Amino acid sequence: MTRLRALVSHPIAGAFCRVLVGGVFLYTAYPKVLHPDEFARLINGYRILHPDLVNLAGVTLPWIELMAGAFLVIGLLPRSSALVVAGLLVLFMSAGLLGLLRGLDIDCGCFFPLMLEHKLGWDLLLRDALLLLLPLQILIWPSSFLSARSTQARS
Amino acid sequence: MGRWGQGSFIGVLIGAAALVVGSSLLGIGVNIASPSGIPLLLSTGDAGTLPSLPLPEGLTSVGLPEVQAVVAEGAGLLVDAREPDEYEIGHIPGAVNLPAYEFDDYFPEVVEKIEAASRLIVYCDGAECSDSVQVAERLLDFGFSDISVFEGGYRAWTEAGEPTEEGRP
Repeated sequence: MTRLRALVSHPIAGAFCRVLVGGVFLYTAYPKVLHPDEFARLINGYRILHPDLVNLAGVTLPWIELMAGAFLVIGLLPRSSALVVAGLLVLFMSAGLLGLLRGLDIDCGCFFPLMLEHKLGWDLLLRDALLLLLPLQILIWPSSFLSARSTQARS
Repeated sequence: MGRWGQGSFIGVLIGAAALVVGSSLLGIGVNIASPSGIPLLLSTGDAGTLPSLPLPEGLTSVGLPEVQAVVAEGAGLLVDAREPDEYEIGHIPGAVNLPAYEFDDYFPEVVEKIEAASRLIVYCDGAECSDSVQVAERLLDFGFSDISVFEGGYRAWTEAGEPTEEGRP
C-alpha cells in the first residue's frame, strides 16, 4: 500500500498526469474552438441549457478547456487548472447522466468531431470517471517536475 | 490535510476562477473578432434557428415554405429520421419513417417509396438534431440524389400550425 502510494504520489507520476489530461483537453478543445456553432448544437441536444444560452456555452466552454489543458501541459497554475478540469469532467458527467436517465438518444459530442457519431452511453461516463482520477492526483500531490513554474506547486 | 491548508486552497480556487473567467472572456473576444463568429445570445423563440451546420457536400437545405409546397403538391417524399415512437405520435403527412439509429432495419420497408420519389426531404426534431443529416448522408451513399434537409424539422412544421398525421401506414 505504501509502495502504491509512493508510486502515485511520485513527482514523475504528477507530471505524467498533468501532461496526459492536459493533452486530452487540448486535443478535444481545439476543434470545438474552431467550430463553436457545431458545438453549440451538440450542447442543445442535451436539452439542459436554455436554447438562448447554448451559443454562449458553445463559445466559452471550449476556451476554458483549451486554456486549462494548455496550463496543465506547461505546468502553469497546475492545481487551479486541475480543479477547472475536474469541474468540467463533473459537469460533462452530470450532463451525460441526466441525458441517459431521460433516455436521450443523442450524439455525445465528447470527442467531437472525431467521434461525432458516438452515442451518449454509460461507457462515456466511465471514461470521464477514469479521466477524473488524473486531475485529482494533481490536486492532491502537486508536482513541479517538468513544470514551467514551480512556485504554486510548492505552496 | 496540511497540503490543503486554507490559504493555499483559497489560492487554488482564485486561480481556477480567474482561469474560467479569463478563458471565457478570451473566447467571447475571439468570437466577436472572428468573421465566422456566432451570436452569443439567442432571443427566445429562436431555438429553431440556431446557426446552421454547413451541410455535407451533395445535400441542400430547404425551408418551411418549400416543404409546405412539396407536401401540398406531392412533389417529393418526406423522410422522418426520428425514432419510431415519435413518428407514430405525429409526423408530416405522407412522410415515411427511417430512424437514424435503426436505418438498416427500416430501410427495406421504405426503399420502394424512396426509389420512386423524384426528390427526398429528410427531417428530424429541429435545428439541433443531426439525425436528418445522418440519414441524408446514408441515402447519398446508397446513390440517391436530390436530397434536401429540412433543418426546421418537425418542430418548425407544428409551430407553423401545419397538419400532422398519426400512426404508421
